[in-house]
Amino acid sequence: MTARRTAAAAKESHVTAGTARAPRRRRRPWAARSIAVVIIALFAAWTLAPLYWMIATSVKSPLEATNLTPTLWPRSFTGANFQGLFTGTVPFGTYLFNSFFTAIIAALVAVLISTLAGYSFSRGGYRLNGVTGIAVLATQMLPLVVLIGPLYLLLLKAHLLNTYFGLIVGYTSFAIPFGAWMMKGFFDGMPREIEEAARVDGYGRLGVLFRVVVPTSIPGLVTTAVFIFMNTWNNLLYPLTLVSTNARQTLPAGLMQSFTGTFKTDWGGMMAAALITSLPLVIAFFAVQRSMVRGMTAGALSGT
Amino acid sequence: MTGISLKSVGKRFGDTVVLRDCDLDVGDHEFLVLVGPSGSGKTTLLRIIAGLESPTEGEVFFGDERVDDIDVSDRDIAMVFQNYGLYPHMSVYGNMAFGLRRRKLPRSLIDEKVRDAAGLLGIEELLDRRPRQLSGGQRQRVALGRAIVRDPAVFLLDEPLSNLDAHLRVRMRAEILKVHRAVTATAIYVTHDQVEAMTMGDRIAVMNDGVIQQLGTPDELYERPVNRFVASFIGTPAMGFLTCEVDGPQLRGAGVRLRLPADRLKNVPGKAVCGIRPEHLRPHSGRDAGCVVEGVVEVVEPLGSEQHVILAVGDETVTAKLPREHRFHHAEKVTLSVDPARVHLFDPDTGQTIG
Repeated sequence: MTARRTAAAAKESHVTAGTARAPRRRRRPWAARSIAVVIIALFAAWTLAPLYWMIATSVKSPLEATNLTPTLWPRSFTGANFQGLFTGTVPFGTYLFNSFFTAIIAALVAVLISTLAGYSFSRGGYRLNGVTGIAVLATQMLPLVVLIGPLYLLLLKAHLLNTYFGLIVGYTSFAIPFGAWMMKGFFDGMPREIEEAARVDGYGRLGVLFRVVVPTSIPGLVTTAVFIFMNTWNNLLYPLTLVSTNARQTLPAGLMQSFTGTFKTDWGGMMAAALITSLPLVIAFFAVQRSMVRGMTAGALSGT
Repeated sequence: MTGISLKSVGKRFGDTVVLRDCDLDVGDHEFLVLVGPSGSGKTTLLRIIAGLESPTEGEVFFGDERVDDIDVSDRDIAMVFQNYGLYPHMSVYGNMAFGLRRRKLPRSLIDEKVRDAAGLLGIEELLDRRPRQLSGGQRQRVALGRAIVRDPAVFLLDEPLSNLDAHLRVRMRAEILKVHRAVTATAIYVTHDQVEAMTMGDRIAVMNDGVIQQLGTPDELYERPVNRFVASFIGTPAMGFLTCEVDGPQLRGAGVRLRLPADRLKNVPGKAVCGIRPEHLRPHSGRDAGCVVEGVVEVVEPLGSEQHVILAVGDETVTAKLPREHRFHHAEKVTLSVDPARVHLFDPDTGQTIG
């Protein structure tokens, strides 16, 4: 920021040098700054309001949550909604475990395959390299709903409906093209000299990949893994279509089916569940925030 | 120990010819410099020797063994890259030990070799640091250390000093030569800087347009360039060129009169381009009336002990390196003379040296 200011000041002084005026940095008038603050505050409120509503409702009593005159600040705080998640009839713990298990395994498998594919797309000198890359990317152009039909039939024939394996296959099949291209982006930005140095040091292609390329691409790997984890964690359509038993159901589909009934909706329970569902994503994001930003900016390898 | 031979090596990328018919013999322990402007093919040639590129034509030998089909990881080479190519996730020690670990040497031997190399380069106190914590000069030393620690048969350096400031570059030049003497490997050094080439190389190969123009010792290249390109590339400031015509026993051009021995003129086909190095021009004294260059001063560059005077001679320009006793001024008319033995003659069409 300071550097940018200095550069801007230098530019300005260069411009004004001809008129022999002292270089001065122009300040934004207070009115313009106030308007900017108001606009930013409005956007923040717009984004944060649903989150606030979720948190507030999760600690309200069932009576207050369904009251026709909604309260902005809960009249009384209760932990019953959270307690109910683990003691009530909804198998929330099972959903939570299923979500974690399938999302983590899918992210790990997808990152492993994406790394190999992305490295091949980035460095491969074979003839069909470009075509293969585009073909893989083309699968991302198809909407999820188009893919779900054939996937359902395939898993049905393979007797993989209502299984973790089936869900993970579904998740990874959709995550790998995206992951491979994301990893390709990271590898493209990585100086080739590092790999060549390792080749000269006596390592073969796989040795170079796992001893040099992967360790230096940790920010990229983590970013890709977190993206895939988030996408998988949030996926509603696949579990809704491929799983019909509570024992294998994940959070998004499970919550949707459990808390909305024909005659009444348990808003407090649903919001408590939604809050717990959101937490892993928030934690994952903040835990890897720095490496995500580093990974997303080009020239991630400043150490070379 | 290994000498290196290239036989008719050529390289194409698609339709672009990068190297043509390169023959080169590098002797055992020799320090050979490949020098040329950007895009002349010198780095590609080095990469072919390393095994990072394969030649489209020709053969590469290390000693008597043909190596073009041998993978880079199986050739006994070490390479220093322009951007150092250090492993950012490893310490300096890890960087230097990486190649030795691959060779499954005992841990104590690896430690001994790394510390010896670090001692030679004065980087012992940096062994625990990561590359990003080092300055450019320190990274350069680590890259050198990583190469020498392996005792390679062939030592390849690709413009290793181009990212350093001028002062450090001069220091590192001496250091690289010191290291080369210590490791006694055959070394090939790529640079675009002719001063680096002249000061470091046992022999120099000058490259241009994918062709090795001339291979020789620094003195040979300076005294007897085979063509106009080599003549202009070697020497600072660059040689000046003046177009002349044969006129009886002398060559004449606009502002130029050069009386040369008859045997030097016998091969000149009517016209010739005369090359004169700046350091061979001197103020005209009247005694050496045979070889005279007359021009108008365009620019004077004072350099303390000497000065570079750029003269317009007819439509062409030459630079003269002159002592500071004479003061020259812009637009002043100046007469300089040159020793006829120092005048180089080139064919105006082919650029090849005549006579």
